[in-house]
Amino acid sequence: MLLLSDIFEDLLDSIIVDVASESHRIARLGLDRNLDEEEEELRLSAEARARASNPSHSGETNGKYVVDIFGQTHPAIANEIFECMNCGRSIMAGRFAPHLEKCMGKGRKARLKSTRSTTAAQNRYSRGSPLSSQSRFSNSTTINRLSNGSSGIAGHEYSNGKLEEL
Amino acid sequence: MSARNYPYIIPEPCKHLVDYKLKHGLKGYTLIRDLLKCSPHGRTMIDKSKSEMPRCSFCSGYYGRFFMCLICSSVTCCITPESNHTLLHSESVGGHQIAVDMERAELYCCVCCDQVYDPEFDKAVMGKHLMVLPRSGNGLVGGGQMRLSKRKRLDFGCDLDSKSVKRMVLRRKQRSKSSLPVGLRGLNNLGNTCFMNSVLQALLHAPPLRNYFLNDMHNHESCRNSSVGRLCLPCDMDVIFSAVFSGEKTPYSPAKFLYSWWQHSENLASYEQQDAHEFFISMLDRIHEKLGKANPAVKENGDCQCIAHRVFSGLLRSDVTCTSCGFTSSTYDPCIDISLDLNTSTSFATDLASKPSKPNETLVASSLAGCLDLFTRPEKMGSDQKLYCDNCHEKQDALKQMSIKNLPLVLCLHIKRFEHSPIRKMSRKIDRHLQFPFSLDMRPYLSSSIVKKRFGNRIFSFEGEESDVSTEFEVFAVVTHSGMLESGHYVTYLRLRNQWYKCDDAWITEVDDEVVRAAQCYLIFYVQKVFHPKGSEDLSCQPMSSPADLFVPIAGCC
Repeated sequence: MLLLSDIFEDLLDSIIVDVASESHRIARLGLDRNLDEEEEELRLSAEARARASNPSHSGETNGKYVVDIFGQTHPAIANEIFECMNCGRSIMAGRFAPHLEKCMGKGRKARLKSTRSTTAAQNRYSRGSPLSSQSRFSNSTTINRLSNGSSGIAGHEYSNGKLEEL
Repeated sequence: MSARNYPYIIPEPCKHLVDYKLKHGLKGYTLIRDLLKCSPHGRTMIDKSKSEMPRCSFCSGYYGRFFMCLICSSVTCCITPESNHTLLHSESVGGHQIAVDMERAELYCCVCCDQVYDPEFDKAVMGKHLMVLPRSGNGLVGGGQMRLSKRKRLDFGCDLDSKSVKRMVLRRKQRSKSSLPVGLRGLNNLGNTCFMNSVLQALLHAPPLRNYFLNDMHNHESCRNSSVGRLCLPCDMDVIFSAVFSGEKTPYSPAKFLYSWWQHSENLASYEQQDAHEFFISMLDRIHEKLGKANPAVKENGDCQCIAHRVFSGLLRSDVTCTSCGFTSSTYDPCIDISLDLNTSTSFATDLASKPSKPNETLVASSLAGCLDLFTRPEKMGSDQKLYCDNCHEKQDALKQMSIKNLPLVLCLHIKRFEHSPIRKMSRKIDRHLQFPFSLDMRPYLSSSIVKKRFGNRIFSFEGEESDVSTEFEVFAVVTHSGMLESGHYVTYLRLRNQWYKCDDAWITEVDDEVVRAAQCYLIFYVQKVFHPKGSEDLSCQPMSSPADLFVPIAGCC
């Protein structure tokens, strides 16, 4: 009498042997020659993560009070002073970008007809110190890339050298 | 590794296979070929009788694995080692030692009890596929409108060679016995510009790009564009290279560069957080704009010769296969980087070190190999995406598969760490850790490897396959991100002379391998091994005494 379990077993065996046969060929033809190295890399990575997540691990110093390889320390906000190449004023490095944005008339904040006070503007810019927020992933791009559907990438064609509008 | 230039090892045949070949030659294979059934997906099986299921000649059963004798074509079954009628057949009839697994068309030696391999058998199998599949599109021959690139792989031009750079660099008198590598210099954060600093650090140390600029191939003083007052991002890059490789230790402010970039890229010019990958693409695009058209001597295969493309440009192949008839159409698209989705299946190896009681996303890791496998996996295109098949002349379900036709000199891998939920209408960042190797062999992801795998890894040379292509890469820079989607921080790790350096805006520090392995990578930069031999000197380690003397022109090249 043919049992359902017999049919299942037969199917399962068939699949297992298929996989074994395929792997056998890959191994014999040397197509998996990097297996040892791959396993070593996985092991090192797992160890590294374990050590990093260990709370007692001192880890890399994240603060900005660190001494660099040349033996130097630097302030949290870069204090080199140079001339703005747009308006000629002397600007501190760490505040150059917000200055330049206004100076060039670019960016959302500059384009909005500002009825806001200068103090408010200053406060806005001083929030973006190097210590806190830096960068984000531009949302418009993510939508474009993700909605592409396939796992492949959008071909970056340089037909006219124009940046595709994101 | 050098012994393995060719894709396969051809295993030594067992003596039973040798005996069989001597006695029967290729007769058996030719007979089998007529019985082969090829699926549109590249699978091969033996189909002896079109109408009936195979039954064992000993027990008349239709269970188990079936084998067909190569000499007398009798079909026998093998269910367990105890119930092995295939073995029985080979023992009862002398000399009938080689059979073929009917399910997968693989040779089997009954005496060795092992699967065996013969290139001539594989050739017969592939021959059948070629006969059966539509001639104009089978993914094996020709395939698409691509002209095969005649350019030799390792001929990257002496302007990208580090030998001439070394000579210039070594001309400097040794001022101090510093053992630090050249080109390490902090970059000041100008206000939310760590996305820019992180990518710049990676590019400053991309060997072919670095060599190009240090070999004075684009001198900002003599460039036509900047002398007329026109914007030229390559000039601005040249200035940065000079500054960073000058030997000065105080951090450099890339202010002029920011100004130039904002003048170029209207839509990205604002003081706000930006995406490092976007910036990377934007930069290469600007460089191409300036240098791509200026060079009229485009090589015969139509590839752009601007430095951005010469260093980063690769070629992707996309195969779309009709699931009904196997007709495959291949298209080729250039790319300057590869964006990878995170492979979210759990890996057993992560259990080695940490055993989380409640596995959640941040503890489970993915691997780069997994992501690349995902990228090159055949994907069923949805039933709403039926494509018109030129062979069947109707819309059919299709499979799509990506692979890499040409590898670039520098491979930039972009990890897609964002997830957009259309339901909740929001994006979120995926913090899952990604394991990545320091040495990467891209061979399994080449088009030739992917197509071979599709047909069961048969020993067969494919048209247009170049087995001497260099596929080994070494990592030299990793741009990492920490924090959230809206606010975070980018840091670049550079690998110079087997030592990792953390470049966190103005702060350059030495770190151990494990710090880099544990970091959350976003952009990983690999360079072809020829540019980054492990453990040997990249460039001389003497610091420069004065920037002015750095670019003394030398006659000739290399």
